[in-house]
Amino acid sequence: MRVSVDRDRCEGYGLCAEEASHLMHLDDDGELVLDRAEVPPESSDAVEAAVRVCPVAALKVS
Amino acid sequence: MNELERVVVVGASLAGTTVVDTLRRLGYAGSVTLIGAERHPAYNRPALSKGVVAGTDGLDDIVLPPPSGEVDQLIGTPAVALHADRKEVVLAGGDRIRYDGLVIATGARARRLADLGAADPGVQETTFRDLDDAHRLSALLATRPHVVIVGAGILGMELASACVDRGATVTVVDRQPPLLGQLGPYLADLLITAAARRRVRFAHHPGGVRLRGTSGPPAVELADGRRFAGDHVLSAVGCAAETGWLASSGLAGAHGLVVDTRCRVAPGIVAAGDVVAFPSAAGPRRTPWWHSALEQARTAARALLHGDDAPPLTPSPYFWTDQFGMRVRVAGLLPAAGRPAVVDGSLPDDEPWAGSALLRWPGRGVAAAVNRRIPIGRLRALAQLEPAGT
Repeated sequence: MRVSVDRDRCEGYGLCAEEASHLMHLDDDGELVLDRAEVPPESSDAVEAAVRVCPVAALKVS
Repeated sequence: MNELERVVVVGASLAGTTVVDTLRRLGYAGSVTLIGAERHPAYNRPALSKGVVAGTDGLDDIVLPPPSGEVDQLIGTPAVALHADRKEVVLAGGDRIRYDGLVIATGARARRLADLGAADPGVQETTFRDLDDAHRLSALLATRPHVVIVGAGILGMELASACVDRGATVTVVDRQPPLLGQLGPYLADLLITAAARRRVRFAHHPGGVRLRGTSGPPAVELADGRRFAGDHVLSAVGCAAETGWLASSGLAGAHGLVVDTRCRVAPGIVAAGDVVAFPSAAGPRRTPWWHSALEQARTAARALLHGDDAPPLTPSPYFWTDQFGMRVRVAGLLPAAGRPAVVDGSLPDDEPWAGSALLRWPGRGVAAAVNRRIPIGRLRALAQLEPAGT
């Protein structure tokens, strides 16, 4: 599974980072940083949860 | 601790799916059945009044990933009754679903002026709540109509913004001045200034609003006799907890489903999201916002598994709105009274859209970011900062 962020949609709410803090974080400017684009199998649930809590539907998994 | 084997979640939007995610994360290995009333899979609701009305988003852009792990999904099958004594949920069509643990996350429906006794009998009333409503409004806007919106709260103003973005002209009518009760005077003025620039017109009268007429689009009448007619009239007068299906259970009150600080309704039953009335200093209150649904869902899942050992929820309110080119995010309890201190940046009074700022209301535990990004944790920290020297 891969996770990607649509930069045009992302507004830096950071709710995703609360769900999957080991895979993504906000930098000092409030920009989302994906620490790993390739999601390890044991983290797929956390990443899917992160996708669901994004208020602007900016995260996608494939 | 309860030994749960069958959890049934009624409501498949943000609150319901977050409960499922949290149960699995906490190690719950029993069965989960997720029941949803809408015929669509779960989607991102805040996008409706933005991208979907704008015509730039379709269902594919905003659909949520299906629940993780093993979940039985029953979508397009509303629950119609709860028999708590037999631990059964009854679905439209008559199927009965047994549970050991029940999660109520049925959300809210659009309130109507007719519900408030403020519409002529038989009047045609249009509201905005779900994907079908958003598609319908998006199609209507193609002719650049004049739209009258009843309700100058958050939804009414976001809809007004989406309508003018599509070339419509808009009048917003309400009993109260725009956004004042929701946001407080400073933030309300900011957004009204930005709306006026887009030629949105406003009218209000404390005596209230009424929908008149029995055929075609209704007219909107204020208590002082002013009438507003448009090609389309939209009601955006708040939402009401979706508790009709609980009527015979005796669990739901007039103002929602009252829970304790662990989001528990009754033994073996928890609730989360827009349906919930959560304890506050002023009594049980609904807080139908995205972030409330998240924190309640996480709390409810823990309480279902761990009962009294689960931590109670201390809400940390977080709210945002995007309208008329302004982005406002707020940490803390709204409405924010008085004028804030500007922590950083500036917002010109006459053209606030040209600026950006971090604001805080000293001593009130409220901070806002206008037109700038800030991680949620930092905005919360700013809200809780005590004034220097106190």
